Amino acid sequence: MGMMKHLMVRSRRRSLWMMHFCLGGCNGCSIEIMAALTPMYDLERFGILNTGNPKHTDVLLVGGSVNHRNRRTLKNLIDQIPAPRLIVAVGTCALTGGIFNEAYNIIGGANRVVDVDVYVPGCPPKPEAVIDGILSGLDKFEQ
Amino acid sequence: MNLAKLWVPAAAVIAAPVFGGLIAGIDRKISARLQGRYGPPILQPFYDLYKLFGKDPLAVNRWQPFFAAMYLFGAAASVAWLALGGDLLVLFFLTTFTVGFLVLGASCVPSPFSRAGAGRELLQALVYEPVLILVFAAIFQQTGRWDAAGVWRQGGVLLAQTPLLYLCLFLVLVIKLRKSPFDFSASPHAHQELVRGVLTEYSGPFLAMVELGHWYETALLLMICALFWSSVPGSAILVAATVAGLIFVDNLFPRLTWRWMMARIWLPLPGLALLNLIWLMV
Amino acid sequence: MTVSVIPVGPQHPVFLEPFQLKLVVEDEVVSEALPRFGYVHRGLEALVVSKDFRQMTRVAERICGICSAIHGMTYCRAIEKLLGITPPPRAQMLRLVWSELHRMHSHLLWLGLFAEAMGFESLFMQIFRIRETVMDILEQTTGNRVIISVNVIGGVRRDLDAEGADGIRRALKKVAGDLERIRPVLVDDYSVRKRTEEKGILAKERAYELGAVGPVLRASGISQDIRRTGYGAYGELDFEPVVESGGDCQARCKVRYRELFQSMDLIRSGLDRLSDGEIQTKSKEKPEGEILVRSEQPRGEVVYYIRADGSKHLQRLRIRTPTFANMAALMDLLPGLDLADVPLVTLSLDPCIACTER
Repeated sequence: MGMMKHLMVRSRRRSLWMMHFCLGGCNGCSIEIMAALTPMYDLERFGILNTGNPKHTDVLLVGGSVNHRNRRTLKNLIDQIPAPRLIVAVGTCALTGGIFNEAYNIIGGANRVVDVDVYVPGCPPKPEAVIDGILSGLDKFEQ
Repeated sequence: MNLAKLWVPAAAVIAAPVFGGLIAGIDRKISARLQGRYGPPILQPFYDLYKLFGKDPLAVNRWQPFFAAMYLFGAAASVAWLALGGDLLVLFFLTTFTVGFLVLGASCVPSPFSRAGAGRELLQALVYEPVLILVFAAIFQQTGRWDAAGVWRQGGVLLAQTPLLYLCLFLVLVIKLRKSPFDFSASPHAHQELVRGVLTEYSGPFLAMVELGHWYETALLLMICALFWSSVPGSAILVAATVAGLIFVDNLFPRLTWRWMMARIWLPLPGLALLNLIWLMV
Repeated sequence: MTVSVIPVGPQHPVFLEPFQLKLVVEDEVVSEALPRFGYVHRGLEALVVSKDFRQMTRVAERICGICSAIHGMTYCRAIEKLLGITPPPRAQMLRLVWSELHRMHSHLLWLGLFAEAMGFESLFMQIFRIRETVMDILEQTTGNRVIISVNVIGGVRRDLDAEGADGIRRALKKVAGDLERIRPVLVDDYSVRKRTEEKGILAKERAYELGAVGPVLRASGISQDIRRTGYGAYGELDFEPVVESGGDCQARCKVRYRELFQSMDLIRSGLDRLSDGEIQTKSKEKPEGEILVRSEQPRGEVVYYIRADGSKHLQRLRIRTPTFANMAALMDLLPGLDLADVPLVTLSLDPCIACTER
């Protein structure tokens, strides 16, 4: 039994299917997430695959700040992701609302709606930082 | 019934997914290298599969897990049947059956993506099923046997007589394994209009079952390919070349539409196969 | 005939940004398309009440990450006109260099996503590999990859030394070589042509009627480029707008592909004409009055309207972004399309939702 469990933890750490969802931001973070998939950074060498389908997702990358409309969409998406899942907030907007925090339609960072596991600061964070953020959240799968 | 004979299909049922998974891993690695990336480890598909089994089971309705299981069972049974040296015509019905369950599983959910994917999967079946039956007919024409064991024993190099037919079988493989340009019912890559097509609504263990079934189907089709050069080294070379061809074709083409497939492939493909068959007969 | 409604979005792998297209589909042919917006709306034009006009430069840059340098530049130009100052020639030329680099990064991103929308994974990867060279120059010369924040009111924040200029020239040479190598795939390849040719045709008259802007308009055969009005340093350089006549996805792809080379020419001649001197004109005044300023973004014409009353805060800021202008054209194109071509045609207009909704 111990070996099966060990293997499961190992598989979960090695095989992360990701999806990114951009909320009310400037889109800069999703550009950098796309860039992280491509030859220079290549997320797939860590087994991270871009799925774009919540039902296949292990790690959700949230970029941008939450507004009154996309709050429901984000909640909906999270409900469709089967456990165990990892939620990474990418970029200053997803952390706190960033520069738009005072705008009338903005509620705040992603943690107003969901429990965020890893915060990746930066405006926008470099692809290296995104990769580092995802990989540092892997310890969640140890339990 | 000789019980001792059963170890061959049993071994095949265990070995086929390992083989299919390895093919998938090699495919992903080589594709990545062709795209200028480092790529995942070869064992990546196995990590993916094992992880999927450990996810929370979220089924849309009661039928979905059942159809996923039936698809897996059908694919495994086809492999076992071929390994047993069974009748090729029965094998044909088994594969049709298998695809039917995949389509049913995809259409029993309300998601429009999944349903549209199911429709396209059926159209694909419409294209490759006639070719498969013609391939089996040609094998019979050449060897005089319907059972796979007999074909393997007296086949020789069937490829020399049936190059056009093998080309058709290769295209069937491209369609069946959902490679570009025919990856419109469920692409392994994201970024398409139907999200993941027939696989959209499966999640966790059920997706793992479908994935496992897909590996069985990969192994099954490559085993049929191997019949075209019935010797161990010969079939190994043939299968390796076929897989390499698949990977290159996958990376050389964008995704085309099912309308294009129906217009350009549907009739010419069986036509080409038939031409080869007629040539064998005269 | 089965009629179904397919909701593309708010989360969908084809679109980077949340926006919804409700497609009424009959046998995989779109009969009706309804867009729904509001997922990215932040209300940042109203931020003028809480941020002063200098801080607003940073907000303007974050309207959209893909065209951020040109948003910042347009905002600064508007404020400079209100203040009655002109940036020094060196600053003007540096603005040109960086905004053209930004245009290149945007067009390369678009080419990559366009390839991915066709399901051409390997082409997508190759284009993004080329794009990384441009991103490296941006990072080397400005310190950030996407939001480069070089514009300040009265000029630019950073200078470019001779070494930096040489670095840009060398990198452009590499990018030009790499782009030449993918040309046969984009232009001649049978399967790519099958997916792009005669898909989503926007006729010349129709494009004009619907008020399309930028590469979409130029791909329909209308020669319009706001850079030709000669704002900033563009007046010193000589260039012709890139025009194609097809009006289909292939034409829009060719326009953007050729504009990459045009941008490279502009950057090279801009670097050659870089004069010595200051990079910023300082002013202690507060803006007053009303102004309308236009620029050419990667996606087309952007219009800034500003009203100020001489205090620290602006009274009004209003932005008409290019994607907003192109949305009417998109809604005109979608009905009648095959479902498989919807992502391709939508992306061929290069929709930037963050810009549209602000």
